[in-house]
Amino acid sequence: MSLLIDSVSKRFGEVQALDSVSLQIEPGEIFGFLGANGAGKTTAMRIVLDILRPDAGTIAWNGIANTDLPRETWGYLPEERGLYAKMTVLDQLVFFAKLHGVKPKAAERETRDWLERFRIPEYADRRAEQLSKGNQQKVQFIAAILHDPQVLLMDEPFTGLDPVNVAILKQAFLEMKDRGKTLVFSTHQMETVEELCESIAILDRGRVVVGGSVREVRRSTGRQVVRVAVQGDLEMAWLGTLEGVRVTRRGQDYLEAEVAGGHDPGSILRAALARGCEVRHFEMMDPSLEQIFIEHVGQIDMSERTLAPKAAHA
Amino acid sequence: MRGWRTLFPNAWYVAVREYRSRARSRSFVIGTVLLGVIAFAATQLPVIIDLSMSTSQTRIAVVVQASGMPSDSVTMLDTQLNGQSTNAAAHKAFAITWLPGKDLAATQAALEAGKYDALLVVDRGASNDLAFALRTDMPQDGSAVQSISAALDSLEIEDRLNREGTSTAALLGPFSLTVSPINGTSADTISLSNEVSTSLLSTGLIVLIFMAIVTYGVWVAMSVAEEKGSRVMELMLNATTPLQMLSGKLIGNGAAGLTQYGIILIAVVGGLLAEGPIHQLVLGSNTGSQFGGLSPAVLAAFVVLFVLGFTLYSLLYAALGSLVSRQEDVQSATSPLMVLIMLGYFMSVFGLQSIDETWVKVASFVPFFSPYLMLARVSAGHVEAWEFGLAVLLLLAAIVVALFVAARIYSAGVLLYGQRVSLREVLKAARVSR
Repeated sequence: MSLLIDSVSKRFGEVQALDSVSLQIEPGEIFGFLGANGAGKTTAMRIVLDILRPDAGTIAWNGIANTDLPRETWGYLPEERGLYAKMTVLDQLVFFAKLHGVKPKAAERETRDWLERFRIPEYADRRAEQLSKGNQQKVQFIAAILHDPQVLLMDEPFTGLDPVNVAILKQAFLEMKDRGKTLVFSTHQMETVEELCESIAILDRGRVVVGGSVREVRRSTGRQVVRVAVQGDLEMAWLGTLEGVRVTRRGQDYLEAEVAGGHDPGSILRAALARGCEVRHFEMMDPSLEQIFIEHVGQIDMSERTLAPKAAHA
Repeated sequence: MRGWRTLFPNAWYVAVREYRSRARSRSFVIGTVLLGVIAFAATQLPVIIDLSMSTSQTRIAVVVQASGMPSDSVTMLDTQLNGQSTNAAAHKAFAITWLPGKDLAATQAALEAGKYDALLVVDRGASNDLAFALRTDMPQDGSAVQSISAALDSLEIEDRLNREGTSTAALLGPFSLTVSPINGTSADTISLSNEVSTSLLSTGLIVLIFMAIVTYGVWVAMSVAEEKGSRVMELMLNATTPLQMLSGKLIGNGAAGLTQYGIILIAVVGGLLAEGPIHQLVLGSNTGSQFGGLSPAVLAAFVVLFVLGFTLYSLLYAALGSLVSRQEDVQSATSPLMVLIMLGYFMSVFGLQSIDETWVKVASFVPFFSPYLMLARVSAGHVEAWEFGLAVLLLLAAIVVALFVAARIYSAGVLLYGQRVSLREVLKAARVSR
C-alpha cells in the first residue's frame, strides 16, 4: 500500500532523463524530491501522473497501475505555473474541480474556504492576470487539491513565495498530511525538506543516488558534524590537527568540522578542555542534507542556492 | 486510451469554457457587431443604388412589331421596372414610351439623336416566342439592362401563358434578348436561365464554408497555443485527457463560430425583409427583394458539409496549434493547412464552370475537398443521392482518422516547448505518449 515506482526509464533523444528509477513512497508521508535542474524530477512526476509514458518500468498506487487509476487520484502543481489569464479565480477553480468530478456547488464552497485560509478571499472574482505571482501560485495550489486527491505531486511549490506565504503553504502541507494525504514535492530548499519531509530521494542525471528516510540519509555517511565555539579563540588552529577532523565552515563566531566515521566527535570537546578553552557552544549533528546533496551531486548552481530559499526564482 | 470511453462530461466542461471565453472576448463582440452591421448594410445596397439613381431617368422607346401581345403589357412593364407605386408623384427610374406598330426607322433616328437612352424592338421569333432586341449604349451588365432583362422575362412568361399549347417546361425556358450598341453592329445575346442564379448561390455557400473554416479553424489553433503559452496546459493535462480537451475545443469554438454566423445570418435575413419597407420609405416605391434557388435540400447539404468540413479542418488546426509555444507562431505553423484549404476553394471556383467534368466529380469525394465541391455539385443539382452519401461517409471516415492522428500529435505536442517543434520530433514523441 504505497506509491511504487519500479525501474522507470525514459529517454528524450540523446538525454537519458530517467535511468531505471525505483522509489517507494509510503502513504501519508511527505516525500521530498531533490536534484539539480535537469536531474529528472519533473519527468518523474509527469510519468507518475501518466502525462508521459515511460520507456520501461511501472508505477502503481496501492497496487493499481497508474494507467488504470482515475485522474482524480492525483493533485498536481506543475513547475510551469499557468492559469487562464482572463478567467476569474473562482470560475477557473470551479472549472478545474468540475473536470475532476466535483459538483459545482461543492467546488465553489471548497474554493471560497481555501481562499479564506490563504488570506485571499477578496480575489475570488478577480481575473487571474490581476493577481501577483505569489497569489497566482496559491490559486494553483488550491487547483491541485480542490478535488481532494489521495496523492499530491508538487513541482517546486515554494519557489517564488515570500516568507509569510511559505509559512502558510507549509501549514497547508501539514493539514493535507493530517487528512491522510500523501505529499510528494521537489525543491532546492534543503531546510524545507529537513523541516517537512519524512523521506527523500536525491536524483542526479536520471538516477536515484540516495534515498530513504531523512534520518537514514543523514546518517548514511557515517560522519558527524560538530559545531564548536570557544571564548577568545576564533581561529582554533588546533582543530585541524586532530585525527579524522576537517574544518568545513567558518562562521561568524563558531566553526564547523566534520568528523570521519570511526572517530569520536567527543575528542574535539576533550581537546578543547585540555587546552583550557572556555567552550561556549558544542553540538554534534548528522551532516545536513545540503552537505550530502553536494557530496552526491556536486556543487549546486550557486545562483539557485542563494536565490532559491526565500527570494523569487523564476 | 481510456479517454475514448469517458469523453463526457469533461469535453462538455471544456467546450463551455471555450465558448464562454471566446464569446466574451472583446474581439468576438466587436467582430460580430461589425460584421452584422456590414451584412445588414449590404442587403440595403439596392436601396442605396436606387436612391443614387433616383435623380436620373432612363428613357426607353418600345417599338412593338409582334402581334397578339398581352393586353396588360404596358402596365406590366411599368410595374416591373418602376415598382408598385401608391404614390403617383413618385420618381420613376424608367420613362417608357410605348410605340406599337410605329415606324422603326424614325424611332431609330430619334434614338441616335439622343431622344432616348434605349430602343426596344419586340417581335416574334422561333416557336412564336417573343424576341427582344435592345439597342443601347448603357453597359450590358449594368443594373438598368439587368432590370430590363428581368422585366422582359416576366413579359415573355406572361405571353407564353396566354398562348395555348405551351408546355410547363417551355414556360420557364430561356428567352431571346439581343443587346447591341446604338451605332454598332456587334450583338450579344443574353440568355437568362436559372443556371446563373444557382452558380451565384453556390459560390456564396462555398465562400461561407471557406470563411468559416479559415476564421474559426484558426480560433481552435489559437486556443490550443494560448493554453500552451500560458502553461495552463499541464494543469489541464492532469485534469483531462487530450481527447476530451480536443473535442471540447472543437465543440466550444465551433459553437462560438456558429453563434457569430447565426447573428450575421439574422442581420442578412432581417435586412432583406426590411429592404422593402425601407425602400418604400426612402423612395416611395417597392421593388421587392428576390430570394431564389435556395431549396431545403441544398440548405441541408450545406449544413451537413459545413459541420463536417469544419470538424475535419479544425482537428488539423488543433494538431498544428499544439506544435507552437506562442500564439504569434500560429500563423506560420498553420500555413500548410491554409494551402490545402485554398486549393479546395479554388478547385471549387473553377469546378463551378465545369461542374460535370470528371476531375470535379472525383475531387468531390475527396474528404478535404468534398465540403466545397460536393456542395457545388449539390447546388447545381447535378448529383445523385448515393454520391452525396458516399462523400459524407468518406468525410466521416476522414474525421475519425484525423481525430486519432490529431489527438496523438496533440498529446505529444502540448508538452514540447521550443522555438518551433519539428514534425519529426512530434511523431517520435507521439509514438510513446498516451
